[in-house]
Amino acid sequence: MSRITIPIGPQHPALKEPISFLLTVEGERIVESALRIGYVHRGLERIFQDRNYVQNVHVVERVCGICSHVHTTTYCQGVEALLGLEVPPRALYIRTLLCEMERIHSHLLWLGVLAEHIGFTTLFMYTWRDREIVLDVMEELSGGRVAHAVNIIGGVRIDLDRDHAHSILARLDELERQIEVFVRIVQHERTFQARTRGVGHLSAEQVRRYCVVGPVARASGVDVDLRRDAPYAVYDRLKFRAIIAQEGDVWARTMVRSMETIESLEMCRQLLTELPEGPLAVRAPRRVPPGEVVSRCEAPRGELVYYIRSDGSDRPARVKVRTPTLTTLMTLPDQLRDVNTADVPTVLSGVDLCIACADR
Amino acid sequence: MNVDLILEALREGFPTDPLEPQTMPIDETIVTLTPENLRPAVQMLITRFGLRHLSTITGIDTGDEIELLYHFWDRQGLTLRTSLPREDARIATLTDLIPGAAFYEREAAEMLGVVFEGHTGLDTLLLPDDWDSGPPLRKEVE
Repeated sequence: MSRITIPIGPQHPALKEPISFLLTVEGERIVESALRIGYVHRGLERIFQDRNYVQNVHVVERVCGICSHVHTTTYCQGVEALLGLEVPPRALYIRTLLCEMERIHSHLLWLGVLAEHIGFTTLFMYTWRDREIVLDVMEELSGGRVAHAVNIIGGVRIDLDRDHAHSILARLDELERQIEVFVRIVQHERTFQARTRGVGHLSAEQVRRYCVVGPVARASGVDVDLRRDAPYAVYDRLKFRAIIAQEGDVWARTMVRSMETIESLEMCRQLLTELPEGPLAVRAPRRVPPGEVVSRCEAPRGELVYYIRSDGSDRPARVKVRTPTLTTLMTLPDQLRDVNTADVPTVLSGVDLCIACADR
Repeated sequence: MNVDLILEALREGFPTDPLEPQTMPIDETIVTLTPENLRPAVQMLITRFGLRHLSTITGIDTGDEIELLYHFWDRQGLTLRTSLPREDARIATLTDLIPGAAFYEREAAEMLGVVFEGHTGLDTLLLPDDWDSGPPLRKEVE
């Protein structure tokens, strides 16, 4: 059968962000694929060098439009380590609370996108409706649905009282009931299984070869979660488990993310009930002593890495960002090989791409 | 990962390299190697210590040279540092040992003009196809 090469993107029929694929097909089967990113490259790593540490918090927040808070968390954590600052426990609890709420919102958003791509519009509507619960809570706390501007170097800028915590706890219960419905759908719905089982398979060996991180790695049986393995913020004080699956396909990724959402809800409960009293931030000097640091956090999509080097001035000499999406992008040619063209959107949404993150 | 064992093995395997292990804040060790020995050192980390997770490669133009930092992780961080001359920045690729290094090498190549010898697909990754102003993270580029 003759081969045809089809360009898809950068204005993409399936994804909302720009990325370009060249798919070579034989009939309905994909034999080869190549991808190109960079359509939303903003040169942020250069911009970081021209701003001071405080201004950079705002730039860092805009690397990603889904997981903005974990970016500022990783960046502030790095700068605080260079400054040798002891961040107050209350600030760390609030920081972690937002991290986990962001994970819930990101995973629900992703589940909706996947559901829409496989033609399950009802599930898409329900997940995005219920995602509003956690978005509302984050908006009440910070004033922003996505860009929260919660982190500052040395702590956080928001606070909540006991009544507010109770009201959030009640809404988290409501959200958990909804997520349990989604988990049952993922486990038992036949059309969902038919569209996701065996699609976009990655073995544990492939995950290790491409240094893949986060839920995609965990869905292929690679037991890695920075929150447990290299605890930061207050994760060492929380009870939770890392969710692992063995199948390595889009279905397993859905299970891992759905179950993780429930774990995150539980973590939010612990954080809200155990929230210690105390100050919200310590004062941070504008100049950072010379040094370098690698700061890592478990973003909704996996290991997020910031490397920061200081030359002693009020501006960083270098800030390097590695977002988790870059790792999964490298696996896509493998995942797309021998896939039916109808399954391409499932594979692409299955890994949970965030192109703005990858492009920076 | 046992950093002490790794450091001992590096000292044994590459006695002429500077190494100079330093501790960065947040559980991370950094050692310095010569560009020729970086690839053999990574090979040793993989075969002897099973250290296969390369988080990323950071490239820095210090003004005098191009520094490359290879950030590895296995429950804690280990960074390998090497420096290349600015006018002829080249180093052997790691993509055959760690396929996941492909994008990071491509990024360092286009942002800092580093040549990764043996890398088969050093095409543009992030910059526009018609970019002609030089590697943007170099100091001399406006």
